[in-house]
Amino acid sequence: MKARSYTHPYVLAGLVPLVFFLVFYFYPLAGIFLRSFVPDFPAHFRIDLSFLNQIVESPRLHHIIWFTFWQAAVSTGLTLVFAFPCAFVMSHYQFKGKKFLTLCASIPFVLPAVVVAAALDASFGKDGWLGILNIRHPLVLILMAHVFYNFSVMLRILTSFWTGLRGNIQETAAMLGAGPFQVFIHVTLPLLMPAVWAASFLVFIFCFSSFGIILILGGPAYATIEAEIYRQAAHMFNLPVASFLSLLQIGFTLVLMGLYTAFSRKAVRFVPKAGQAKFKRPGKFMEKAAITGSFGFIILLCLFPLAALAGKSMVHEGQLSLIYYRAIFDNPSTSIFHIPPFTAIKFSFIFAGTALFIALVTGLCAALCLNHLDRIKAKNLAGFFDPLFMLPLSTSAVTLGFGIIITLDRPPLNLRSSILLVPLVHALVGFPFVLRAVLPALKSIPNNIREAASTLGAGPGNIFRCIDLPLISGALTAGAVFAFTISMGEFGATIFAAGPRTPTIPLAIYRFLGQPGAINYGQAMAISTLLMAITAAGFILIEKISSKGLQHF
Amino acid sequence: MESELIIHNLSKTGTEGVCLLNNINLALPRGSRLSVLGPSGSGKTTLLRMIAGLDMPDSGDIRFNGVSILDIPPHKRHFGMMFQDYALFPHLDVFHNIAFGLKMKGMPRQEQAPIVEEMLALINLKGFENRKVDKLSGGERQRVALARTLAPSPRLLMLDEPLSALDRVLRKHLLEQLTQIFSRLHITTIFVTHDHEEAFAAGSRIILMNQGCIVQAGTPKDLMLRPVNDWVRQFMG
Repeated sequence: MKARSYTHPYVLAGLVPLVFFLVFYFYPLAGIFLRSFVPDFPAHFRIDLSFLNQIVESPRLHHIIWFTFWQAAVSTGLTLVFAFPCAFVMSHYQFKGKKFLTLCASIPFVLPAVVVAAALDASFGKDGWLGILNIRHPLVLILMAHVFYNFSVMLRILTSFWTGLRGNIQETAAMLGAGPFQVFIHVTLPLLMPAVWAASFLVFIFCFSSFGIILILGGPAYATIEAEIYRQAAHMFNLPVASFLSLLQIGFTLVLMGLYTAFSRKAVRFVPKAGQAKFKRPGKFMEKAAITGSFGFIILLCLFPLAALAGKSMVHEGQLSLIYYRAIFDNPSTSIFHIPPFTAIKFSFIFAGTALFIALVTGLCAALCLNHLDRIKAKNLAGFFDPLFMLPLSTSAVTLGFGIIITLDRPPLNLRSSILLVPLVHALVGFPFVLRAVLPALKSIPNNIREAASTLGAGPGNIFRCIDLPLISGALTAGAVFAFTISMGEFGATIFAAGPRTPTIPLAIYRFLGQPGAINYGQAMAISTLLMAITAAGFILIEKISSKGLQHF
Repeated sequence: MESELIIHNLSKTGTEGVCLLNNINLALPRGSRLSVLGPSGSGKTTLLRMIAGLDMPDSGDIRFNGVSILDIPPHKRHFGMMFQDYALFPHLDVFHNIAFGLKMKGMPRQEQAPIVEEMLALINLKGFENRKVDKLSGGERQRVALARTLAPSPRLLMLDEPLSALDRVLRKHLLEQLTQIFSRLHITTIFVTHDHEEAFAAGSRIILMNQGCIVQAGTPKDLMLRPVNDWVRQFMG
């Protein structure tokens, strides 16, 4: 084994994800770029900027860009306001049911956007349980959905950081004569700020590129850049404008991601040793009241919409009934817009299975390659490819889907009618999750274990089969479940990539919600509940696996 | 007698220009037992890793039975190496750890079992087949690692600080066991240590290394009675 061998099988494995990225990520994005500025390519190479006038002169587009920022900022602010007090309670007190509460609080975030939209509709929409409250203004619904969706991220980041902060620093300040309020203002808050910024940025990015929620709950009046890309491309066939909006979206998200990385790096530097902090047991009345309040709020926020959704799916004309579930297997309508639910379920499973396979193979190859580059001290290469492989995370699904349909619909690579197109896009979205699950597991294997195996007669193939593979099997399973559940719930890219004859569950939910009638509504609720159950089960499975996790070392 | 392992002018420079090994020459007859002694950072482990094929020298040659082995990858050298922290496979039980080398040879399961039994008897751990390795004590791990190394009958046995992770009492006891095992198996052995008592007990010949060079080579007696310089005298106490 030479000190630097770039021909090692593990390094060559890196070519698999690299080619995958070149073809299905960079080529489509290049296509968006080209389509923005050179609309007649390849027939004529003429840079055409006339669409820019269209954008500059369109008050509608100005409003959309403004609204995109506005709704993201307001959603983030609201999430922070609700999550901050809960994070205080979670990071300071030990109480009965805390574990359960943590689990409840994390479920909304793993749910697909269409399910969240359907759940909000079931709670506060026209036919929802609390429809009588009459707060079904699209804007209110969007903001509520974003708070519901992002509360758990905010809570998780703030709680873990705050828990780490507690202890010596505050006690020292208290010894120096600072009262609890002064300690909070002068010590805790400044130390907490980087985490607040980092969490807020993350939530802002999520809300900024939110698509399913906006499209379903907002309607045409409340469009964001994402929703407008879809409208311009799919309804108005205005590809240059859609392309330019995609470019804008990519630019904005890249800047936001850069800021997020900068802030979270700063936040990480401050993190004191975790696990030292002791949780208090509530004593005073105020403490008990605060815990009860947070408990009630989290349960209400996170579980009520989900319960409302499940409830709506099982009530027909005021009676408990499984009619909507039975209707999944019927196909009474002959309308071309009708998606038979059973077909959608079938294709969702086929696509998710295929996407899982592709994401697992490419993700594993990437992890093997990055780990090996790290080991042979080719840090520069590893440092280049690691963030590159994470790019799909910071690219909005809509831009990805749009880029793919405008580039992969013609030679040299025409996949327009290929059944593989949707799984490929889903695999691209799931890939970073597989990589992030597998790479730490691979890195945790001490290299001398591989060396011991090689002195015992194991060549590279046997080391992979008998050492690496069994030791990362847990992480691989977690990555596979990630890829599967992400594919099941993916909406933004699927709405572009899936053909009319190959619908998926989220597309069916979107269609059903958009059509009038109790049966359509009920069916939307039923398949949303189904998707919710699948995703939640996947999430709980991942938690189980990762808590057993890196048991070997 | 023709030497089995010959090391010729072996040199290696590290990444920051540090000399890891400087012109090492060595000849080991078949069945001989060599101790490589030296302070940490003296190049003992590097030398061992090169013989195993885990590191490559910048220049020089390593020959085994008259043939250069530099181009042979570690898994085809059939040398056994026991690692300082044992490097047991955490996902396998004791049986499968010991049988790993046999499995790599393509030996059928029913032929592996008697050899593993024999190894477990050798290291006094009969009945430990199905134990998880993370449930073993330090001394037990050390012995399992030895058994795993010996099971495929390597052409050369290398031990890298095999006792350093153990406490003093256990170290003494296991050193006795090790030397007994060595004298029973007629296998060429290289024993790396920073402790001269271990080196004397484990090897009939000793090389003393410092800063990538062999400072002195000879029998334990030579080193004790005729140190070549003050550094050797000091190191030997």
